[in-house]
Amino acid sequence: MALPSVSTGATPDDNILFDRSARTRWRIGFDRWAGRLLPFLFLVAILPILDVVYYISKSALPTLTLKVLTDTSYRDPDALGVPIITTAEMMTLATLLAILFGLFGGIATAEFLSERAAGWARTFANMLAGTPSVIVGYLGYFAFCLYFGWGYTMIAGVLTLSLFMTPYIFRIADLAFSSIPRHIREAALGSGARPYQYILKVGAPIAFPQILNGVFLAVAIGVGETAPIVLTTHGSVILPQSLLSPAQFLTATIWENFNSPFPVAVALALQAAFILLVVVVGLNIVVRIISARYRKRLEGLFQ
Amino acid sequence: MMAASGAAPGASDPVLTVRDLSVISGARRRTKKRAILEGVSLDFPPHSLTAVVGPSGCGKTTFVRSLNRMVELTPGLTVTGEVRYLGQNIYDRHVNPVMVRRRIGMVFQRPTVFPTSVFENAAFGLRLVHEDENEVDRSVTEALQRAGLWEEVKDDLDRPALSLSGGQQQRLCIARALAVRPRVLLLDEPTSALDPAATQRVEATMQRLKEDYVLVLVTHNVGQAARVSDRIAVLQAGKLIEVGLTADVLERPREKFTEQFITGRFT
Repeated sequence: MALPSVSTGATPDDNILFDRSARTRWRIGFDRWAGRLLPFLFLVAILPILDVVYYISKSALPTLTLKVLTDTSYRDPDALGVPIITTAEMMTLATLLAILFGLFGGIATAEFLSERAAGWARTFANMLAGTPSVIVGYLGYFAFCLYFGWGYTMIAGVLTLSLFMTPYIFRIADLAFSSIPRHIREAALGSGARPYQYILKVGAPIAFPQILNGVFLAVAIGVGETAPIVLTTHGSVILPQSLLSPAQFLTATIWENFNSPFPVAVALALQAAFILLVVVVGLNIVVRIISARYRKRLEGLFQ
Repeated sequence: MMAASGAAPGASDPVLTVRDLSVISGARRRTKKRAILEGVSLDFPPHSLTAVVGPSGCGKTTFVRSLNRMVELTPGLTVTGEVRYLGQNIYDRHVNPVMVRRRIGMVFQRPTVFPTSVFENAAFGLRLVHEDENEVDRSVTEALQRAGLWEEVKDDLDRPALSLSGGQQQRLCIARALAVRPRVLLLDEPTSALDPAATQRVEATMQRLKEDYVLVLVTHNVGQAARVSDRIAVLQAGKLIEVGLTADVLERPREKFTEQFITGRFT
């Protein structure tokens, strides 16, 4: 069967290469200028952040001394020792609880649940993550403070915070295990690994960096939360003596003092804000370093 | 000959016996049922390489995955019939699929190394059963030698397995499957992701391995089947339509479809 011969000469279609029409020139110019303008739009986005950072640093740094950071005496209301230590304690407990529930839930969803059940689990996790923190705070207030009768206590704050952080860790654990290539999973199970052996020996090392990222981000989000905390525990000037005593979270200090008529109190709120800012930025930097370190090791796995 | 020693009933009795094996998808749901495999019966004698060939979508991969119950990892499939390994039906209610997979190893289309060292990859199956360290060392060395990878990696067993080439990775996967001393090795298109040189090395490995193991090779490449296999089984639309010695099937196909398939007129 003979095919018609193909002409090698120029045809009208080839004009597209040499198109000098106004429309094409306008498009090319638009692309060029859009590329030049977008970096400035990025500046517009980060300017407010830089302004906040500048304002907080300028107000907090001149009066920030070691005494402010470490003094835990209730006689000195201008120190942050109590809220800083209390925040560290509460965040540790809340993070451990959130890891417990989030990690197990996420792994179970990715590995053991049927497709339909996993879909529901993800939907509920997304709903919980999308719930405004003030609603989570009210839930904690009604459940822990009123229904269980604990009142404004550290345990109520810790549980509410962990409730707030759990869906973030759940989602990242689920995602990390679900995104392990199917052939890796089959290879492990095909070599005679039991499901838990697959999770511990193959899945965990691959998913670990992503999960660690998720935990750090959940901590960064949780440590800056105000609503779940001020609704469940605040107003203490001393370190909590037990889980059932009131506790003073750092964000609660900001919330209580920022609108105060006394300049000393406002300064205290700004100092607390500065510390939170440092913690959150620090956590994000740690996350970036960890990701970069592990990405290299897993190179070539996700093809 | 280590792999074939032990309590085998007889030297030439088949190691794997497949009887009336069917795999049906959608049997438990209200969706339409579809048979992926229908009534396949086939024996795998010791020291042989059987190539399972057929066009795309004929059920080759499902067949080989049903020989060590890997098929159960795909939701929605129902298996009926028997697969007997040394006389025991692996689909028996009391048989643990994990134990089946430790005796009947598998190598996949794409190299599936784990992101650890070469040594740890080869030792993966052994570590699952807590063997002692000297035993692990010995088995890993032997498996890497059998897989034809030892000479290339012996100087640096701690290098990351992901830094190996594709062909080396695939031979490492073979070594990983061999390290637990299976009798049967299932190879699901092991060279389809490899370049010709790497393919040749994997084929040479398969040639050597069939002295000691029962090999089942799924391939869509008739040339490969002709080069390495002792027997050919032809599948079409889920049915086994012809099985015989490689030379017989290739030179004197009994079925019209087989002839069309091996001459490349049907793909």
